[in-house]
Amino acid sequence: MGFLALLALLLALPKLVSSYKLLTYTRFLILALMAQGWNFIGGYTGYAAFGNVAYFGIGAYTTGLLMIGKWHVPFFPALAAGALLSACVAILLGLPILRLKGHYFAIATLGVAEALAQVADNWDSLTDGSTGIDLPIKSEGEFFYYTALGFVILGLLATWAFARSKIGYGCVAIREDQDAARMLGINTTLYKGIAYAISAVFAAIAGGITAYQNVHVTPGDFFKIDYTLQMIIATIIGGVGSVAGPVLGAAVYQLLSTYIWGRFIELHPTVLGFIIIFFIVFLPRGLMTVIGRRRKSGERPFKASDLLANVRAHRVT
Amino acid sequence: MGGAELGQIFVNAVLLSGILALVALGFSLVWGIMNIVNLAHGAFIVLGAYITFFLHELLGVDPFLSIPVAMLALFTLGWIVQRGLINQVIKAPLLATFLLTFGLELLIVNLINYFFKADLRSVTTPYSGTGFTLGPVRIPYIRLGALGVSLVLVAALAWFLKSSRTGRAIRATGMDIDAARLTGVKVATIYAATFAIGAGMAGAAGSLLSMIVPFDPTLGGAYTQRAFAICVLGGLGNVANVVIGAAIYAFVDVFVGARLPSLSRAVTFAILVLLLILRPQGIAGKSV
Amino acid sequence: MKRTAMVSLLALALALGAFPVAAEDTISFGAAVSLTGKTAKEGEYTRDGYNFAVDTVNAQGGIAVAGKKYKIAVKYYDDESKSERTAQLIEKLINEDKVTFILGPYGSAPSGTAAPICEKYKIPMIEANGSAESIFSKGYKYTFAVLSPAKLYLKGVIDLVMSRDKTVKTVAVLGENEPFSKEVASGAADYAKEKGLQVVYQELYPTGTQDVSALLTRIKGMNPDVVLGAGHLQDSLLIVKQAKDLGVSPKAMGFSVGPSSPEFRENLKGNADYIFGSTQWTEALKYNGDDPWKTPKGYAEAFRAKNPKYNVIPYQVAESSAAVIAFCRAIEKAGTLDPTKVRDAIAALDFMTFYGQIKFDSRGINIYKPMAIEQLQPDGKKYTVFPAAVAEKEALYPMPAWDKRK
Repeated sequence: MGFLALLALLLALPKLVSSYKLLTYTRFLILALMAQGWNFIGGYTGYAAFGNVAYFGIGAYTTGLLMIGKWHVPFFPALAAGALLSACVAILLGLPILRLKGHYFAIATLGVAEALAQVADNWDSLTDGSTGIDLPIKSEGEFFYYTALGFVILGLLATWAFARSKIGYGCVAIREDQDAARMLGINTTLYKGIAYAISAVFAAIAGGITAYQNVHVTPGDFFKIDYTLQMIIATIIGGVGSVAGPVLGAAVYQLLSTYIWGRFIELHPTVLGFIIIFFIVFLPRGLMTVIGRRRKSGERPFKASDLLANVRAHRVT
Repeated sequence: MGGAELGQIFVNAVLLSGILALVALGFSLVWGIMNIVNLAHGAFIVLGAYITFFLHELLGVDPFLSIPVAMLALFTLGWIVQRGLINQVIKAPLLATFLLTFGLELLIVNLINYFFKADLRSVTTPYSGTGFTLGPVRIPYIRLGALGVSLVLVAALAWFLKSSRTGRAIRATGMDIDAARLTGVKVATIYAATFAIGAGMAGAAGSLLSMIVPFDPTLGGAYTQRAFAICVLGGLGNVANVVIGAAIYAFVDVFVGARLPSLSRAVTFAILVLLLILRPQGIAGKSV
Repeated sequence: MKRTAMVSLLALALALGAFPVAAEDTISFGAAVSLTGKTAKEGEYTRDGYNFAVDTVNAQGGIAVAGKKYKIAVKYYDDESKSERTAQLIEKLINEDKVTFILGPYGSAPSGTAAPICEKYKIPMIEANGSAESIFSKGYKYTFAVLSPAKLYLKGVIDLVMSRDKTVKTVAVLGENEPFSKEVASGAADYAKEKGLQVVYQELYPTGTQDVSALLTRIKGMNPDVVLGAGHLQDSLLIVKQAKDLGVSPKAMGFSVGPSSPEFRENLKGNADYIFGSTQWTEALKYNGDDPWKTPKGYAEAFRAKNPKYNVIPYQVAESSAAVIAFCRAIEKAGTLDPTKVRDAIAALDFMTFYGQIKFDSRGINIYKPMAIEQLQPDGKKYTVFPAAVAEKEALYPMPAWDKRK
């Protein structure tokens, strides 16, 4: 019931709020998309990808360049091309770098993202370098909202199906113990590659939508590490490796930070920093630990006192 | 590339390695021992730079003499941050501490910006920019001094970890926390000491950087990223690895920058990724 | 799932706050400038320039529109020096705060982001701090810049040096890889070639570079007569510092951004001497304008009286004030607050101000106002040295080698 009500509310939202509020919600949905994607590789498979913004950028540029190039490709096919290209790049890069573990994988992905950013910055003949490109202007805010909403719902379904599929179980097994997983006959290279490619597709779609909405696309804006951090933060806030966690985390992070920078002109990063710190101290495993508990049989609902228990459980004396 | 240019570039790279080694030293220690990727490391560096700057500007203290002050101040701050915050979540998943230090970084950088404003600052002394020449190669005194300070601190930390009681306890905790606890090590204190030393080293790095680059509150982020790369290049677990990682990073950066400045970061990171693929445990690190 | 829904509803509700509505007789302007991040300082200059002009206009009664006087109110947001943030903030200003007009952000990159958003909603923007021509090459009709285009920034240094020294042959240009500096660098290199000089070095370095010793070592090997830097304040400081470290001593050094700001000398002390900086405006210029202050001198005195923390007035302050003045004039001419009509009035502006002539070409950029060159001299002051007609002092040339100074 609650879920249907929420869906109805989300569908009716463009009629209820101002166009700027709608933009904020669209931002949240786009962050949710990125976080959903990250959750496949970072959450289920346990590979801390630090360079997913690379696929966000590839998606944005592919979509943009196809739309303004001599072919004038319409938006959705251009978006699909961006997603496809991102998946291909992810598979090609994933083959070598997914062999790396832990932090080494993290820095390899970071390195790839940084390198691609500079390539975009210097490839004047294709991307117009640091000057950037401008997409056609489309002013209907609802279009972007519904597009993003559609993809987020698709993402929820995809995550749900993934978590229950053979591949999903395989990825979780890889996260828990890769060697054991391999001995059980799981094709770890293939599974990791799939999870990584899916995460790239999500980031690319988010990038393409943002590019069309923002109009002006530059390497500095679309390859910045902030996006990678945001998608990771959103996933952690919601709960890593859960179906709804990334969306919930994205909602909390995006709406909260928007609210804060509207209110505290010069000190908004301080306020946001405080909130993040308190959040992590009291809920280090994400919001889904509060919400998800009840559904498991035998467990009591989450109480305020559990916050303190959380602190006690994770400290060292 | 002519001989004179090659010589100068080589010297530039050596001088840069020294500073980068100190930048990454504390970061590597905290990561290796406590398994925390400290995103607030750059903020600590900036604080060190401000301490040196204000001591020089207001009291006329020579920037090299203010290094111990910066280290002590950051050591204290590091201790407080570890006991008060990080210790609360240390057993949570790695990503939680990661996010915690991210929040800390946002907060510190913004507060510096709020109180000291975004003005660019640098410590300029009468000997800034002076140096001597070795044939066609110029060696600035400040950069040479910075290299010296870095080497002294790297050696001091290596000695401390190897030979002192506390140092050995730190290493033991890093290897096996439960075993260390069983032998009577107070883990919370050891963690606080480790984090505080890491912060202190960041403070020293900040002092040196304040003489070398113009800085504002946002200086740190770039250095956190470099420290991250250096640790991976060198591998964790040993002070010497940091020096090796820093040297590789500096040489690649300087040599590529001499010919292809606009793509220097791309090439540096591409080389880094290639090295990782070929040697996943880091250049100097042992196989895990 | 029920709880998920409830938490989400709560989160949605959080962002639904009410905002105060502007009073009847004020015209609301919106601006997203950098208050934190890399360009926070320049953002502060921009904001101070806007505020000073707005306060002055308000103190004189405001803007007369069809017989009624309106006061100006400006709503500010912080773009955190991230140009992608600018897009959201401009949307917020237009849709949420319902501002009637937009004053530009600081920098070419965010101005490039803001332009299509203003176009989308047909809200005119006059910007004072984004001079990359790429912003104006897209055919947008609602964006105007009061300042001279990027490619002209370092032209004056070349002209000045060539007028003083017929033997100058070689130039090295290094610039930051971002929209504005890229155009400054290529503009300078093109102009040098046009004048028969040889450009021996022309490279861009990535934004956020912390070490330019590799580039300078290369430049040193080529021993150019003139070194030109196209970057931001931080880059210019770094280049001077490392040039001294490495003993790079050309006959002249000039920068697009940096020398005009008071922090340049504060950071470099005596090492700042002899360096040329391009500037959009200085108080030594001789304009006689039709605005509240009339002359650059008048503006400077009035500004300092209100903002005593400024000893030297950076040109960003003056150009930002000029943007406000341009808006006021256009609104009065249009006689209405209708954005489209005001837009047409802006496009038709042609008047003299304390800041110079304000007139826009068909793209929306002010190509009619000249740039000037300043030099920091060993007496600790900064003088306008070019064009000769407005020079306060003769330029000191050549720059003595680093090790030949006392």
